[in-house]
Amino acid sequence: MGARTVHRAEDPFVHPALFYGDEREYLAGTVPFVLDGLAAGEPVAVAVPGERLRLIREGLGDAAADVRLLDMREAGRNPGRIIPGVLRAFADAQPDGRRVRIIGEPIWAGRSATEYPACVQHEALINAAFTGRAVTILCPYDLNRLDADVLADAYATHPTVVHAGTGTTAQRISDAYDPDGVVARYNEPLPVVADALTFTFDAETLPDARHTVTAEAERLGLTGIRLGDLALVTAELTTNSVVHGGGTGTVRVWAQDRYVVCEVRDKGRLADPLAGRRPAPQDQRGGRGLLLVNLVADLVRLHNGDEGTTVRCWFAL
Amino acid sequence: MPLTISPLAERRGVRAAGEVGLSTRQVWERALEGIVQQGEEVCHVELSAVTFVDVAGAGALVAAARRLPPDSRLVLHRPPPALCRTLELLWPGFPAIEVSM
Repeated sequence: MGARTVHRAEDPFVHPALFYGDEREYLAGTVPFVLDGLAAGEPVAVAVPGERLRLIREGLGDAAADVRLLDMREAGRNPGRIIPGVLRAFADAQPDGRRVRIIGEPIWAGRSATEYPACVQHEALINAAFTGRAVTILCPYDLNRLDADVLADAYATHPTVVHAGTGTTAQRISDAYDPDGVVARYNEPLPVVADALTFTFDAETLPDARHTVTAEAERLGLTGIRLGDLALVTAELTTNSVVHGGGTGTVRVWAQDRYVVCEVRDKGRLADPLAGRRPAPQDQRGGRGLLLVNLVADLVRLHNGDEGTTVRCWFAL
Repeated sequence: MPLTISPLAERRGVRAAGEVGLSTRQVWERALEGIVQQGEEVCHVELSAVTFVDVAGAGALVAAARRLPPDSRLVLHRPPPALCRTLELLWPGFPAIEVSM
């Protein structure tokens, strides 16, 4: 994978992938990045898997108290939640005029094949979400434990790359950078699942669709707040189909592994790839439905096709 | 499921019963508009018989609370848990809505 040492000066947004081989390289690539930010008076957040978070916290020592630390396995288990709920939640809360630094590790060994398309699309969409802003988001990638395909994708989702093992933190431009291509390539079809409870709805039957899906999810073992979340998600997705997706749609619900899965298909087309990934400004009234879906579901996958849109949401049992 | 609105006997505000969704949104928004226009310092919305409120319905509450005079507030009585969840997630720390269980 080719990389040149030229600088992209046009955009104040900086989004390097950090390739690391072992713990020593991980710390060499992350701790000075945090300390440099603190020394420059920049707000710094670290959102990485829990065990890596402990490493960074120890590496920082007392300075850790000045950094917002988040376990990405929790905060970012649904990749669609990371931009609104983690990255922008932190960056937007900082005073204007000061660069914001974030370490975000959304892809770790153990992300499932079901999760991965949402993960890599998230990495690609970070670029559109932050373009023009004085923000640096450094994304660590585990060279030893991630597949070659995943590492190749990181060159396509990041305009620049850093190799921790080379002993330099210099960013090199990635010639393979192609975020739109990644979003399109991982827009994978979600084939209809057999034996799922199926309900075709229109404006008249929206409440029935929600009641039917919620009752089935309860029968499958979903309870309490999670059942309430599924009712909210079902209402938002089915209402979207009625209002924006051709007036009708089909909702399905089933159990898979340790999840209840809920899916809505309609004839609409979701043109905005950042839909549901922007924190809605306080004074804006509508357009929060997909944001809520991303905030509460454990995983959201989306397929945009010529025949329509499918949104599939997972809720852990 | 329809949404019915009735005035509260003992204080300023309304009692709602049913579900707030696409088909009942207009009834809901009109009811909220009505109590906001009364211009009271505290407007009560009794929700113990409301079983569901969607995101747009929660947004209508926020929009109504925003039209209240300064220092006024909406008090939601026994709202469904999903409404509290939506308000916390999408309008965290919004000051003009108070929840009373």
